[in-house]
Amino acid sequence: MLSRTSGGGGFEREGGMRIFFVTDVHGSDVCWRKFLNAGAFHKADVLIMGGDMTGKAMVPIVATPTSWEVTLQDERHELATEDQVRAMERRISDRGYYPVRLSREEVDAWAADPELVDRRFKAEIVHGVERWMGMADDKLGRTAIRCVVSPANDDMFEIDPVIERTASVMLGEGNTIPLDGFDLISTGWANPTPWNTFRELPEDQLAARIDGLVKEARDPHRAIFNFHAPPYGSNLDGAPKLTPDMKYVAGGQAIVPVGSHAVRAAILRYEPVLSLHGHIHEGRGAVKLGRTLAVNPGSAYEDGVLQAAIVDLDSQKGAVKRYVLING
Amino acid sequence: MASVSQAPSLFLRNATGLVKGWSGFDAFTYSFMSVNLVTLGMYFSFLYVSSAADGSMLSSIVISGIAVTFLCVAYAGLIAVMPRAGGDYVWQSRVLDGIPGIVSGAVMVGVGGFLVGTAIGGDTLGIIGGIVGVIGGGALGYIKGGLAFVLAATGWWFILAQWAPIYGSILRVEFLQPLAALVGSTDGVTFFSSANGNFVTSLIVIVLTTGLVSLGMAGYARIQKWSLYIGLIGLAVMFVLMLVSSQADFQTAFDKASSSLFGVSGAYNAVVTAGAGANTDLAPFGIGSGTFVLIPFMMFWILYPNWGATLYGEVRGSSDFKRVLRGMLAGTWVTVVLAVVFLILAAKTFGWAFFSSTGAQVYSSTPVIPIWGYPPLLVSFLIDNRIFQIGMVIVFGAWFLGWSGTLFLSSTRMIFAAAFDRVLPEAAARVSDERHVPWVALLLIMVPSVVVSAVYAYWTPFASYTLDASLVIAVMFFGTAIAATILPWWKPDLYQKSPIARYTVVGIPLISIGGAVTVVVLGWVIYEWLAVSTYGIGVETPGSIIYLGILYGIAIVMYVVAYLYRRNQGVNLDAIHSEIPAE
Repeated sequence: MLSRTSGGGGFEREGGMRIFFVTDVHGSDVCWRKFLNAGAFHKADVLIMGGDMTGKAMVPIVATPTSWEVTLQDERHELATEDQVRAMERRISDRGYYPVRLSREEVDAWAADPELVDRRFKAEIVHGVERWMGMADDKLGRTAIRCVVSPANDDMFEIDPVIERTASVMLGEGNTIPLDGFDLISTGWANPTPWNTFRELPEDQLAARIDGLVKEARDPHRAIFNFHAPPYGSNLDGAPKLTPDMKYVAGGQAIVPVGSHAVRAAILRYEPVLSLHGHIHEGRGAVKLGRTLAVNPGSAYEDGVLQAAIVDLDSQKGAVKRYVLING
Repeated sequence: MASVSQAPSLFLRNATGLVKGWSGFDAFTYSFMSVNLVTLGMYFSFLYVSSAADGSMLSSIVISGIAVTFLCVAYAGLIAVMPRAGGDYVWQSRVLDGIPGIVSGAVMVGVGGFLVGTAIGGDTLGIIGGIVGVIGGGALGYIKGGLAFVLAATGWWFILAQWAPIYGSILRVEFLQPLAALVGSTDGVTFFSSANGNFVTSLIVIVLTTGLVSLGMAGYARIQKWSLYIGLIGLAVMFVLMLVSSQADFQTAFDKASSSLFGVSGAYNAVVTAGAGANTDLAPFGIGSGTFVLIPFMMFWILYPNWGATLYGEVRGSSDFKRVLRGMLAGTWVTVVLAVVFLILAAKTFGWAFFSSTGAQVYSSTPVIPIWGYPPLLVSFLIDNRIFQIGMVIVFGAWFLGWSGTLFLSSTRMIFAAAFDRVLPEAAARVSDERHVPWVALLLIMVPSVVVSAVYAYWTPFASYTLDASLVIAVMFFGTAIAATILPWWKPDLYQKSPIARYTVVGIPLISIGGAVTVVVLGWVIYEWLAVSTYGIGVETPGSIIYLGILYGIAIVMYVVAYLYRRNQGVNLDAIHSEIPAE
């Protein structure tokens, strides 16, 4: 007999397994904190982070003889006290950027030498993920909630070992993780983008990588794909079209499919029960491809809003019972 | 690791989605074509100058432009605060909750219930409808996303079914009928004046706009840009001809064309005589009561510079806010200036009494000439060459082509959003495998459009409900304006972290000023539409009120059914927008 209970977020539980899936938080501290709390709030059994978890920008907080200066979102702030600096650092972190305290000379040196910027970026990203993993241990260490984190194309490789050695978190990338009769298969590698990011593969190589991963699953029909790139032409992959000089066409109104053909083919071929995606922040949605429910919760990390998909799975039938996309 | 750009205030690395923003000209194009002087302004709003004997058309346009400026501020602000949210539906869902949601829902649905009840069964039923509306609307506003769904589904989806035959009418009177007349097809003119012609034209529009949505905005954007260039060239030619021609020249040309095309002699004087007593003075600086009668007519076309507000990508700073705002304001004010220039030239070249009377002729049962005096057609008569005249009408067709493609685009986006929020079945968001066309969403707007087009063509009173098409959108904007007004106080975390938090006027957030003024302006305009018989959709037209009641009723029923059905599945729609605690 299945028991029905009301979840903290208002969604009823009826046995089975509940997955809480988010993606593309891009360094937003507030989104990460919400993610860690979502298990208790929404009565989820498994938390999955689909990748692109690291930030895209560093914001220098520049020392002056008497204060600190920072420009955020085109607005210049002068910070007189340590409390004000810390509050600003938190605001910057919540937005997904890395606050860095620098002298004026260091800013000038960074402007002249991209290598210095790269080095600090790497340090900030690794340090940020280490901090987040520490928070995960604190929040989830004494609970039964399982947490899977799978880096994606915007995440440098150095963060994988940080995740792997975290006690309360499982590394998704390249691993097959059994979950209550299902197998979670993850990869953050994506089809090529205009930005030439860390984990990109041509479609044929991406297909081969996916095939290799699926072979590890006990039953592809009981697999859960956690592939960062959404399937091509699925409505989960509509992104603003760009000009060759990287500007939006038609003021951002022209939306074109940019997903992966390899991912689409794999879904249709293996027919997993569920396929989780991200990558395209504007591509929020859920569609049926064959017998598979494919989901992209989208991302609004800049607003501090955690967009997520809650999916209840029936372990006995090997099927999706229900799902909902939320703005948490 | 490769870094791509450096700046003293921000160091970026290579990462997906980092772009250089968008061209301000693109934002202007979309806004300018949405506030369309030729298709919307000339066709409908300017026809009604004769409705206000002492009204100044110029003043009404400028005042409307000032009012819409505040709307632009509110929308540009919301885009900057929640750039990827997707427009009115999500903005309202996120902001209009708690007490503001309850009050907004109770007031809006309560007023609606009262009006519909009164229209159906008099005062008693009106009071009952009002009470039910207050309670039901309050409950709807209490549920996060409930009121937002009703306002956005009606404003971005249902009402666009009515816009389809309105677009059809515009295509008919600005393109098909003039061309038929110019090629000497009396049968064509007669057919397009008939109910069948009306319906067929609406079907052409539905097929055309569906095709353009299928083409996708990426393809349509090119069409739109070329349409803008061609349309502006046509407008420039028109202005020059009006500038260099005298009223006597025009009278001669109009009489000659009317004689050769329609066999009507002395047409100019006949038109002026037919409109005797109407608005006979351009009254450039008038702000009499007639001017304020005209403003709600002007809102029919000038209200939409924010039409492209659904998506602007990743907004990173206040400079992006200013760029969005500039695009909308340029779309508004370039149109206002062009409208003022056009009207001054119309008074000079056509004669204001003639121009005013031409508008009234549209609704005459015995018009002097059998087609509307479409201004570009009238101006083309100044060149006594049929090829030029046909070319002029075709060139001005670019104003229609560059504008019509977005008719169903917003509907499909709204339907997707509702499907993803589980209010509609997931099938509503299905796209075709081959060309990725959102065919279910298109069907959900096409089928109602065909039905409404048939009603529009074959049931005469419905055609007079044209302003309902603007009213429903204005009500949705009204809800969003409330959200913009209260945002800084009701959702301070969201607001304070946004790039517009620093914009204040005497300590009051700019977005709240924009929102509050818009609430007042739209509140007044909606009141005028509903209370004054001149507009043909208010309390003295029960059919219009009942029609509006049906629209909002369907949306409310749809949401309530979805709410109960999903609850039975264990999915609480209210919880979709529940914020997860961060601490």
